[in-house]
Amino acid sequence: MQLHINPSDELPIYRQIMHQITDGIAGGRLAPGDQLPSHRDLAAQLVIAPLTVKKAYDELELQGLITTLRGKGTFVSERRPALDLDQRRERLRDAAQRLLSQAALIGVPFAEVMDLLEQIRKGMEQ
Amino acid sequence: MRVLEFNNIHRAYKRGVDVLKGISFSLEAGEVVGLLGKNGAGKTTLVRIAMGMIEAQEGTVRIFGLDPREDALEVKRRVGYVSEDQILPEFLTVAEVISLHRGLFPTWDDALERRLRERFELSPKAKIKTLSKGQARQVALLCAVAHRPELLLLDEPAGGLDPAARREFLETSIQLLNEAGSTILFSSHHMTDVERVAGRVVMIHEGRLLLDHALDDLREKYTLVLVPRGPESRRKQLAGLKGCMSVRDQSDSLHAIFGFDPDRCRALMERELGIQSAYCTPIALEDMFIELVGGRS
Repeated sequence: MQLHINPSDELPIYRQIMHQITDGIAGGRLAPGDQLPSHRDLAAQLVIAPLTVKKAYDELELQGLITTLRGKGTFVSERRPALDLDQRRERLRDAAQRLLSQAALIGVPFAEVMDLLEQIRKGMEQ
Repeated sequence: MRVLEFNNIHRAYKRGVDVLKGISFSLEAGEVVGLLGKNGAGKTTLVRIAMGMIEAQEGTVRIFGLDPREDALEVKRRVGYVSEDQILPEFLTVAEVISLHRGLFPTWDDALERRLRERFELSPKAKIKTLSKGQARQVALLCAVAHRPELLLLDEPAGGLDPAARREFLETSIQLLNEAGSTILFSSHHMTDVERVAGRVVMIHEGRLLLDHALDDLREKYTLVLVPRGPESRRKQLAGLKGCMSVRDQSDSLHAIFGFDPDRCRALMERELGIQSAYCTPIALEDMFIELVGGRS
């Protein structure tokens, strides 16, 4: 899976990496057991500081989405992590709020946002 | 381990014309820190003080705990330095300049030198004066990193280079970080470059430290707030609020920066100014720079 980052995006770079890997796992492009590039290789590939990639990997590991096996590399976890449901719902709520305020700012009506979500869902399933 | 430490650095070029008015910050091993400031803010002066090229009139600088002027040789052997206006001897060839540096550094890595020379496609026989600006800077970079320095000081290293050459420069720096775990302090006006590689930014303005912060935190904990200009008193009121770092007039609105996340800022605007749904957005480094530095002069 090819990652890309935008340095001037409003999300910090480590979060952009986290999101893309999370999306990849959610959408099935990254399967359990798939190996991720080492943090140094990914840093060289994206031309960003190695510590930034390490931070993203560390957070993903804390969330249970990836696992680092010493001397072997970093892999997508086999089992879905145990969910702290409240915390996750809260995070989803934040994301939804951001989405809706952004839509309101550029004048996109709610129905259109729903259509967009539907479209993206179809895209992820394919 | 503390690699570089500035402690209350003062420097004036003319009596009464202070360039640096008490700068203090330090770099731990492995950190990459972006040094930001307008032209004339004193970035180059600061880097030159670190290199021992000029002396601070007050305060101390330590590199690996050493004084760069008293322990000049040891410090220089462990540091790499590239600046925008670095001058290489014009009538020497690339190979001659490289061998001059090789002789100065006991830790010189021939394999790394060869790899960089090939990557930059530098012809050893070319005279320095025939090189393009980008190629000359690449020679300087090669000479600055081939001894695998523990600390790399880069003063506008990519100034005047085209985007491809700038990228190449960054790639090489990252390779060095990966392989040697070096510590880097670099100044640049290319905010996206800083955002790519720096973990922390230090901003100086009018000789003082304006900001010293982890880059990720900047995006998550600082907010640009736009409110209608309103009554004359609003500007003062904004500036007096807790967490406010700067306020700037921008046509018919006021731009303020707060050290809080957007939600908290929105609540603050509603409570203190009675403004509902103020436009509050995370802030990119470039805007931060313009707001902070522009809002103060």
